[in-house]
Formats: sequence, structure tokens, C-alpha cells
Amino acid sequence: MRPTDSVAVLRPRSPWEAMDLGVLLARRHAGLLMLAWALPALPLLALLSLLLWESPGWVLLIFWWLKPLGERLPLFILSRALFGATPRLGESLRALPGLLRAEWLASLTRRRFNPARSFDLPVLLLEGVAGQELQQRRATLAAGSGKRGAGWLTLVGLHLELALWLGLLAFLYLLLPAPASADLDWQRLLDGTPEEWLWLEHLTNGLYALVLMVWEPLYVACGFGLYLNRRMHLEAWDLEVAFHRLRRRLSGAAGILLLAAGLVLALPDAALAQPSAPQPPPALDRQAARADIQALLGQAPFHRREETLRWRFGEPAQPSIGARPFDAVGLARRLAGALEILLWATVGAGAALLAWRYRDWLTAFAGRVAPSVRRPPPLPAAHSVPRSEPPALPADIAAEAERLWADAPDQALALLYHGLLERLREDYRLPLSEADTEGEVLHRVRRLEQIELQRLAETLTLHWQNLAYGRQPPPAELKEPLLAAWRRQFGVGRTP
Amino acid sequence: MSASLAPPPAGTARQPPLDTRYPVETPEGIDLALHPAGLVPRALAFAVDLAIRGLLLLLTFLALGQFGELGMGLTSLLVFLVTWWYMVLFEVLNQGRSPGKQVLGLQVLHDDGTPVGWAASLTRNLLRVVDLLPFGYSLGILSCLAHPTFKRLGDLAAGTLVVYRERPSSHPALPEVAAQPAPFALQADERRALLAFAERQSTLSAGRRRELAGILAGPLQVPEEQAEARLLGIARELLGPT
Repeated sequence: MRPTDSVAVLRPRSPWEAMDLGVLLARRHAGLLMLAWALPALPLLALLSLLLWESPGWVLLIFWWLKPLGERLPLFILSRALFGATPRLGESLRALPGLLRAEWLASLTRRRFNPARSFDLPVLLLEGVAGQELQQRRATLAAGSGKRGAGWLTLVGLHLELALWLGLLAFLYLLLPAPASADLDWQRLLDGTPEEWLWLEHLTNGLYALVLMVWEPLYVACGFGLYLNRRMHLEAWDLEVAFHRLRRRLSGAAGILLLAAGLVLALPDAALAQPSAPQPPPALDRQAARADIQALLGQAPFHRREETLRWRFGEPAQPSIGARPFDAVGLARRLAGALEILLWATVGAGAALLAWRYRDWLTAFAGRVAPSVRRPPPLPAAHSVPRSEPPALPADIAAEAERLWADAPDQALALLYHGLLERLREDYRLPLSEADTEGEVLHRVRRLEQIELQRLAETLTLHWQNLAYGRQPPPAELKEPLLAAWRRQFGVGRTP
Repeated sequence: MSASLAPPPAGTARQPPLDTRYPVETPEGIDLALHPAGLVPRALAFAVDLAIRGLLLLLTFLALGQFGELGMGLTSLLVFLVTWWYMVLFEVLNQGRSPGKQVLGLQVLHDDGTPVGWAASLTRNLLRVVDLLPFGYSLGILSCLAHPTFKRLGDLAAGTLVVYRERPSSHPALPEVAAQPAPFALQADERRALLAFAERQSTLSAGRRRELAGILAGPLQVPEEQAEARLLGIARELLGPT
């Protein structure tokens, strides 16, 4: 046995996961394990049944008592399969007599009711120690919380056997045709088994054996997983595998390595063990940044405030409530009434919801009138976003801008841009919102497909962006053509 | 079928190594390793939940039984709630953990590792009715034992997975030794192994430690007795200044 041959990934696991690994290992060899368990056990059961035909209860008890012996062969197979040397069925069966000899009496008497049976069995069978040494070894492995999980495994296994057994019986009962199951006289069956019903009890015993055939290999595998995990913790097999792999890799490149190792070792250790230079502190204070972000998120359009006014019933004045004695029954009745109203309301709401959900279907198939023509979608709300109060626009924007251009060309440009947005909103019904960027506005203008307007908007936006983001004042020669284009587009005064 | 198409004999077939990990790759290309939970902890978690529910219903019967018909009505409402919604509500609202799962350290997730939602949780819990058949969860047990990631039928239908919850692992302190540079370049898993060797000092016996370190005495070019100290120094170096 070498850990490097293991077919399972070796790694210290929790006890639960160790059991899961056992289940996975048993799944891979399920057929072999079940056969190896059943081939000795089922003939034994048949023999017992023949010998003790009159008392099926005893057969079951003896069979159940001998269960620990049946766990040895699956364990033998699992322990070989883990390291990639799965034995054939014949080999396994030949190994059986040798396996049964070790401590057979103790495992049927003193250790029969040991809840950590599945954990102790590998110590006995796989480590090849006996007597005092065996006791010591068991104590070592169980030290601390070494056996954690083994008791729970046995407890769960007990219930699982029962559940599967009863499940199988219930399944067979369900398969009985109705007349046959109606004739069953349960009372008579429970009182004492009549002679002609003995076969039924033996059949039940057989079903129990079938359940064990499935569960026993898994139980053994779970215990084996726990044992393996314990040794993994104590002996670090995973590290052994990793170190062996590292050595193999390094010995492959031994020549180059020798040189490199010499070079590295020649350097003083201190130079390599220097801690790295400390990082400069971040420029932006985290707190300040967070406060900034919070303040920004509190403003429009990230934040939206709505006020809703509605009518509701006023509270009538309560006439002297303390004077009345506490009426538990009345209160309970009212509570029940409220609950009933609530439930009926829920039913009604559910029905209404259903009707609404399938309204198309209803109008198509259950209504008398033809389905109405689909209404056009409502116009998008242009002013849905509440805006801060804009400064009032002058009546003649172009004239005002011309006046402003002399000493404050940036204000003139701002006025023109603002005017453009107002015009787009009012004359062209563009659904602009506060959150739109200049690019988005331009995009909407392009969709209107008016060359003149588009050119004006593009020029204005370009210079507006240069001013707003680049602090570049508009060139002086822009004034005349821009104002001319504006007047051509929007006329002189404000359109009513 | 011709002979050449027959599967190779069992001994030579190269099967993937057995592991209890279930790898999931997120859309961002991050590999997560989930650990599906097997039958035993799940059965125990179910038992805990069953006990809690039983206790809850018993107390309700005792308390509401005195109110006559109203009490009966309320009790039957509560029975409905506890029977059908106990698991769902806990799983969806408490990060996939019913009280029993919380005790056992389990968690329900979608197959892709995302938190379980209403639809999946309802499906997997309504299908308990199927898992129950024909008696005492027989079908669920068999399905759980036979599936590679231990799913019962409800889990299969809902696309959910019961996993062990990740617990923050505490790394034990490394022994205080002077840091030494590694004389050869190390890959990630090898570095992990060296660190694990230093961290697990306390659980390994002295003899076993010497034996493990001895494997690397050759490449380290030190006598076998000094290999352990050398490895600890390298691990210290790998850990970096703390």
C-alpha cells in the first residue's frame, strides 16, 4: 500500500465528508461489493430458515446477530480497491476464511453492540496487530475526537435499515391486487402466525437480507472512510504524496537545479528575506469619498421624492373602553370573524388576479364582443421628472444672446443651449428628462430627421460641451452664423 | 460489437480520482469548490427539523386546544404552515438553512452555487411526497445513496444541491523559526503542501514529521535530520512577514 497509488483524492476532511468519500468508493464497486456480501450471507439465511422453519423470529435474530462477520469481506475489497488493486470475486471469497478468524468471538459478544464498530473493524483487519498492541492502536486512533461520526453513522444506519425494510414491505403490499389485500386479517397475523403463513415471515426475513445487501457495503465503506480520514489527519498522507511528487519533479531537472541551488544559497539570506517596501497611503480619503457619494446619490436623478395625499376614515371617539369587562369569547369570535374576512378576501383577490392574468384569453374565448382594437400606448410623459426651477427664458432668445455675447460669450452660449432644449421640448415634443446627456439629446434630434435643426443642434452642442467641460470659450466668428441659424429655425419671439 | 470496441478490463481503465468536491465555474471564470453533503448528516438534520416541528405542533395543540372550534381552526392553519412551509421559508429566508441544517452545518444551493430561490425550494420540498414513498423516505434514501452528488429526487427535479457550509478556517500559527529561501522554484500546490506541513506540526508525531521531511532531504541537499527544520524555515519564508 502506498498513498501515491490511491484512487481517491487524499485530503484531510471533516468526518461527514469522510463518510461521503466512503459512499463514493462503494458506489464505484457496488456490484462486486453486493455480490461479495450476498454470496456467503444469503445461503446462510436459507440454511437457517430450513433448520428453524417453525420459528422465523429466531432466524432473523441469529442472522442479525451475525451481521458484523459479514462486514469483513466488503472491507477487504474496499481496502484493496482504494489503492487500485480491486480483487476479483473469486479471490475475495478465497480470502474470506482468513478474514473471519480474527477476533470473531469478541466481535459477536463483547463488541457486538459497539456503536463505533465500523471504525474499529479496519484497525483489526487491515493493520495486522493483535492483543495488547491492538488495544493500544485503537486507543491512539480514538484519542481526542478521533471516532467522531462513527456513532451517528450506526444510529442513522439502524433507522435506515428499518425504513428501507418497511418501505420494501409497503411496496409489495401496494402491488397486491385489491381482493387479496382486502382478505388480509391483520388481527390474526398479529396474534400468532398460523402454520400456513410461516412462508410470509420467511419472505420478510429475505427482504431484510436484501436491504442489508444494499446497506452493509455502504456502512462498511463509511466506516472505512472515517478510519482513512483519521489516519490522514495523523499521518498526513496528502503531504507525503505532494512531497514525493515534488521530489520527482525536481530530480528530473537535477542538473540545472544544482547550479541554481548553488547560486541561490550563495546569496546572503537577509537580502532575500527583506520585506517589500511599504505601499504609499491612498490619495483620496475613504471617508470623504463615501460622504461625497452619499451626497450625490441623495440628489436627482438618483433620488426621487413623492408626496401622496389620500382620504381615510377618521377614528371615532371611543366611549369608555375601560369600563367593560374583558370578554374573551367575544374577542375570539371577532378574531375568528376577522380571520374569515381575511381568508375570503384572499380568495376573492386570487380570483380577480386570475381573471386579470387571463383577460386576453377570456375576451378571446369567453367574451361576446370582439376583442377591441389595441389602444395606442400613452404618450411618454415628457415632464415626469421633477426639475429644479429653471431661470426664466427671455422672450427673444436670439436678441438676448446677441447682447450677452459682447462681454460674456459663455453665458450667451448657455442661454442658447437652454433655449434649444426648451424648444425641443415644447415645439418638437421630445421627451427629454433631467438625466439625459447631451449625446442622448442629440441622438433624439437626429431621429427627427430635420437637417437644419440637426446641424444647429450639433454646432451648439459641440461648442457647449467645449465650454462646459473644456473651459474653451466659443470663437467670435461663431456668433453671426449661429444666431442666423437660430432665427431661421425658431423665428424671433417665443411661440405661444 | 467487435472486440476492439469492448471496454478495457477493469484494472486498466483510467477513472477520474474520487473526490467529494463538486467544482462550479462562475460566469466570471472563477472556480468554486462545493462540497455536497451525503446521507448521514442530511438524515440527522432532518431528524432535528422533525423534532422541532413535532415540539412546535405539540405546544400549539396544548395552547390552542382550549379555544374550541376557533382553536381547532387556528391549529389546522398552523399544521398546514408547518407541514408545507417550514422548510421553504427557512431555506429561502435563511440562506438555505433550516434549523436542522444549521445545526449540522449544511446549506441548500442551486446547482450553479447561487442561493436557493422560491421556485427551487418549493419544488424540492413539495417533492418530499415522492421521496417519502413507499415508506419512510425509501426512495429518497436510495436516490441519495446512488447519486454522485447525493441528491434525492426532489433535489434532482429542483436542480438544488445540499452542501457543507464554508466555515472560515483558522490557520494555526507557524512555529517561530528564521525564514529561509527555498533553493528551488515552487509551484502553487507545492507551496500549499509546505505551508500545510508547517501548520499541521501539532497533529503529526515527531517520527512521522522526520519521515515526511526526509523525502525532500535529497533535493534540499541537507542531511535527513535537518530537513524538517529547513522545511519549516522555507514555510516561514513562504508565509511572508506577518
